Amino acid sequence: MRKTLPRAALGPLFALATAAHAAVMKPPVAPPSVPFTKATVIAGAQFFADHCSACHAVSNLRYKRMGADLGLTKAMIKKSFMKPGGANYLKGMRPAMTQAQAKKWLGLPPPNLSHMARALGPRFLYTYLTSFYWDPKRPSGWNNHVFPNVAMPYILAPWGGIYTKNGKLLVPGRESPAVFDRHVADVVAFLRYASDPSVFERRAIGRYVIGAFVLLSILAYLLKKDYWRDVHDKEADSHSQKSATIKPARKG
Amino acid sequence: MTKTNEGPQGLRDGANQGRRRFLIATTSVVGVGIVGAVAVPLVESLEPTAAETAAASATFNLAPVEPGMQVTIPWQKKPVIIVNRTPEMLATLTEVEKKGVLKDPNCTVPQQPPYCKNMYRARKPEWLVMVRICTHLCCIPHYRPKKASVGPSWLGGFHCPCHGSMYDLSGRVIKGSPAPHNMAVPEYHFSPDGKSVTITKMYPKAHLC
Amino acid sequence: MSKVIDWFNARFPAREMMREHMTEYYAPKNFNILYYTGSLLLLMIALQLLSGFFLMAHYVPTSQDAYNSVQGIMYDTKWGWLVRYMHVDGVSLIFILLYLHMGRGLLYGSYRNPRELLWVIGYLIYVLMMGEAFFGYILPFGNLSYWAGQVITSIIHAVPIIGPGLTTLARGGPGVGTATLERFLALHTVLWFLILAACIGLHILALHKVGSNNPDGIEIKDRKGADGTPLDGIPFHPYYTVKDIFGVGVFLTLFAAIIFYAPTMHGVFLERTTFFRANPMVSLPDVTPPWYLAPYYAMLRAVPNKYEGIVLMALAVVLPFFMPWLDRCKVRSSRYRPVYRFMILLMAVTFFTLAYVGEQPPLPKYFLIERLGAAIYIGFYLLLPIISRFEPTRPVPERVRS
Repeated sequence: MRKTLPRAALGPLFALATAAHAAVMKPPVAPPSVPFTKATVIAGAQFFADHCSACHAVSNLRYKRMGADLGLTKAMIKKSFMKPGGANYLKGMRPAMTQAQAKKWLGLPPPNLSHMARALGPRFLYTYLTSFYWDPKRPSGWNNHVFPNVAMPYILAPWGGIYTKNGKLLVPGRESPAVFDRHVADVVAFLRYASDPSVFERRAIGRYVIGAFVLLSILAYLLKKDYWRDVHDKEADSHSQKSATIKPARKG
Repeated sequence: MTKTNEGPQGLRDGANQGRRRFLIATTSVVGVGIVGAVAVPLVESLEPTAAETAAASATFNLAPVEPGMQVTIPWQKKPVIIVNRTPEMLATLTEVEKKGVLKDPNCTVPQQPPYCKNMYRARKPEWLVMVRICTHLCCIPHYRPKKASVGPSWLGGFHCPCHGSMYDLSGRVIKGSPAPHNMAVPEYHFSPDGKSVTITKMYPKAHLC
Repeated sequence: MSKVIDWFNARFPAREMMREHMTEYYAPKNFNILYYTGSLLLLMIALQLLSGFFLMAHYVPTSQDAYNSVQGIMYDTKWGWLVRYMHVDGVSLIFILLYLHMGRGLLYGSYRNPRELLWVIGYLIYVLMMGEAFFGYILPFGNLSYWAGQVITSIIHAVPIIGPGLTTLARGGPGVGTATLERFLALHTVLWFLILAACIGLHILALHKVGSNNPDGIEIKDRKGADGTPLDGIPFHPYYTVKDIFGVGVFLTLFAAIIFYAPTMHGVFLERTTFFRANPMVSLPDVTPPWYLAPYYAMLRAVPNKYEGIVLMALAVVLPFFMPWLDRCKVRSSRYRPVYRFMILLMAVTFFTLAYVGEQPPLPKYFLIERLGAAIYIGFYLLLPIISRFEPTRPVPERVRS
């Protein structure tokens, strides 16, 4: 109890700062090559709604905005993602658990995951989610290679399986390692989108913006070449006559 | 765009005059187009944010408002009055109509959503949900439900302290008032059990003041 | 139409200004790619003013709400991301342009007589810009903002006698909080920015008085034709205006590519630690400044003593002001000064190495590089008066090379 008190007082950031620091010590494992597309993000959001949103909020991301960005209708969002009671389509993604319950059950409230992928990087998140191991010394029974003495219990264990610190499989999960890794990568893709929600909008219009500026550059280059022909002609003259200058081009 | 006043003097011969004019014109058009295309999103960024939209709709519990009582609540920085009208109060509405003193008794001016275009100006006759702002110059009218409280023939309604505009208990304006229209009714709906009301947004056609 | 123009010209010196600064302002005809940077800087600063206005329309300068209001711009405001990325990435691009612009001045001797004041004003703009950028990145109030604010205001603390008072004045309280955000916002958007803008105006006026230098470092006014205009000069308008429009097109293509495809530039233009809320109880794993201030930070860390480190950093910032008087060579451009040219290139490599090191965690393995870099940087300015007096030079041609 004495040990957990300062942790609770410092809040989740202490833990995250430690996590970022720990990441320097163990290089993150690259996630399997899952393309970052609307499809993987939707798959990740589904997995997140089923497993993570019991405890974690993504409070900056509104359900309505998510629907608009990912091309989902209000009915689809309500059916698949708005599971916690009191979820409002116009408001941010909320957890099923209240802050008071979180304090009582876990000691400190699980962090809002809105900016996590930008703050810690998708690679770290992937490594973190796949680096839990069974540790009977911990009150929760769980520990993590890249986030020592983590507060979060490994709720994905029934799907991913239970490992010892040395990587020995104790209890196999419901999903094969390949399928499970793919699911974790999807969740990370969702968190990446949640921390940078304009990403699909940017990708959709970026090429037209760049195209417009390229067109302007080409036209401006032709115009510049046209005007500068005067300068180069005069130069040729001045080499033969040594007296010519270029007069200012002026009206009248 | 100053370059367009370039005369032919700058050129050594007029051979490429047409080409230069064409290049100046197309570059200018593309440049102006880009400036316009950038200005649109910048100005649009000033539109109400998603946070404002989410805060716009609000739900109120009706349980504490007993018959004959009213409550005025701030909604979108505007006072909204909710009145639980008794049968006697509702009876004054027909009485006032019979006298023929209302400017717009049938609510033909769209100061309310279509589902409130009736003498009660409400979804349910007893519940009045209305923006309590005088359509004359935006003052907040006093709520005067008692008979003869404003004048000898007063049946109950709203009386504006600024310029004396008078309304009945449905917010319909009485002839002789400076106010042009009935008071505005926002869009709202009751919860299925009828215990609370959710005000969603202003009725877009309604004129506040 | 011409009547309207005449009416206007009789009351406002538009025609005269146009002649003086555009059509009859003669610029050397041998400008190279580095000469685009001036007009691009002007454009970028105008764009910062524009995007800054739209950001400020949503920003709340309190320690409680600042972080949320900035995230509101990113999540809840239509096109908010575009406005913020324009502003954030614009800063890094401005500093890239500033370094190229100043590097060009050093390479071609643009600080030499009669352009001393031009250089001093220009360098002052750079120093002011560092302050402007600092005030700006405190405002989003992420954890980087908070700790950067703490570290920089405690550097002021080291100033003799007035230091502690200045620190309190900058923070407006015992620590960085609402009062700090309010005054930094006021400085960032009003006073500091207006001073900066005025200095830019003075810089352009001073330039048009003495005329532009060029890669050969030859004074074009010394060779005039029969009509009294420089033989190697061409009117700024239309020749350099059309050229600059082309430069603007290419540069904005690059700018758009960054905004749309790599807005944080992998944490270099927008640091990861800005995505944690400010927390006075949690110091970051490593507090590093933005890349454009990192060289000075590396020099600060090079000395294992608080006051000496700050003095060294202050010296590094102040010394370039004296460049016009430190260089004693008769020749201007590094094209004809091989030794000086080598020194400038060494300086550039040193500066960006220090920038890289300044971004790294404060580990002992970087101490040697930091010290060597600081020694080269300071040594350049201290040794220049001696070296420039004796360095060998190549013959300078009479007319510019094209």
